[in-house]
Amino acid sequence: MVHRINVLVYYLHIPDGYLDPPLIISTYILTAVYYIILTRSRRFNIDPEQISIITTLAAGIFVAQMLNWPIPGGTSLHFVGGVLASMITGPYIASLIMSLVLLIQCLIFHDGGITALGANILNMAIIDVWIGYLTYRSVRTFLGNRIGRDKTVFIGGLLGGWAGITIAGAVCGVEIGLSSLIPYGIMISLPIMAGWHAVLGVVEGLITGSVGYYLFTRDPKILRG
Amino acid sequence: MKRSLLIILILLFVSPLFGIYLANIVGYHEPLDIAGELLDLKDISDEINWTPFKDYTVPGLPDWLGYIISGALGILIIMLIGSLVKTFMKRDRVH
Repeated sequence: MVHRINVLVYYLHIPDGYLDPPLIISTYILTAVYYIILTRSRRFNIDPEQISIITTLAAGIFVAQMLNWPIPGGTSLHFVGGVLASMITGPYIASLIMSLVLLIQCLIFHDGGITALGANILNMAIIDVWIGYLTYRSVRTFLGNRIGRDKTVFIGGLLGGWAGITIAGAVCGVEIGLSSLIPYGIMISLPIMAGWHAVLGVVEGLITGSVGYYLFTRDPKILRG
Repeated sequence: MKRSLLIILILLFVSPLFGIYLANIVGYHEPLDIAGELLDLKDISDEINWTPFKDYTVPGLPDWLGYIISGALGILIIMLIGSLVKTFMKRDRVH
């Protein structure tokens, strides 16, 4: 059984037919509650000038996610981008950007199921973004100016990108494990999903840290998060 | 902003290399789809499909071209939504 579910570890877009009704409903509710709280937050302020940054980032992440890096054995990984977005805009707007990308992927291209949209947004637009962002900010606060701010951005992005994907993968493992439609339990799905995403998250972290470092060296003001 | 759009366009045009060409070489399938087949699960994606652009394809076009057109369509929709939101926000501020 463990061998069998190794094939699902690299991918976070859950399709239709894998989550049972209680999970569908609960993930939709959790996501809806998050966005109600988000839009009422005082920190959630968008001015018209920021819309250009939001749409450019959303378009960039959308197309970056189309670059599947095939792994021999018949699967692939791709950049998710939620933590990088949070470094540039902050986590509130980054959640919105990732949700927009996931909505387009689901509604126009059926990439990720409509029944799993709540779970996919929860994993990639909320958990990945917030865990990654909080890790990134913690690293920047902890290291301060001790090794240079540009290096701190790289290390923060590296660890943030890695942590975001790892925890999002773990939560995806919990959701899959809890679904009554999938005949293996959380004790199998969680460690495998978390373990493999911890390995693959290194790639996400390296890209996040490198792009963050490049942007910071060009103009530190680009990183508003 | 122009440089960002240029990077997006470059990524769009090289995307079939990764999403189609290399994927065919390694015999790529969606990982969760493979898991579903192994576990005798029923993937209902095709039964409840509502879009002609499923999996970034365009009916009647070769996969690589459909992939690029799908990517361009996604980018255009995102930009269109952005423009509409921007217009409404500016209108709200005037009023």
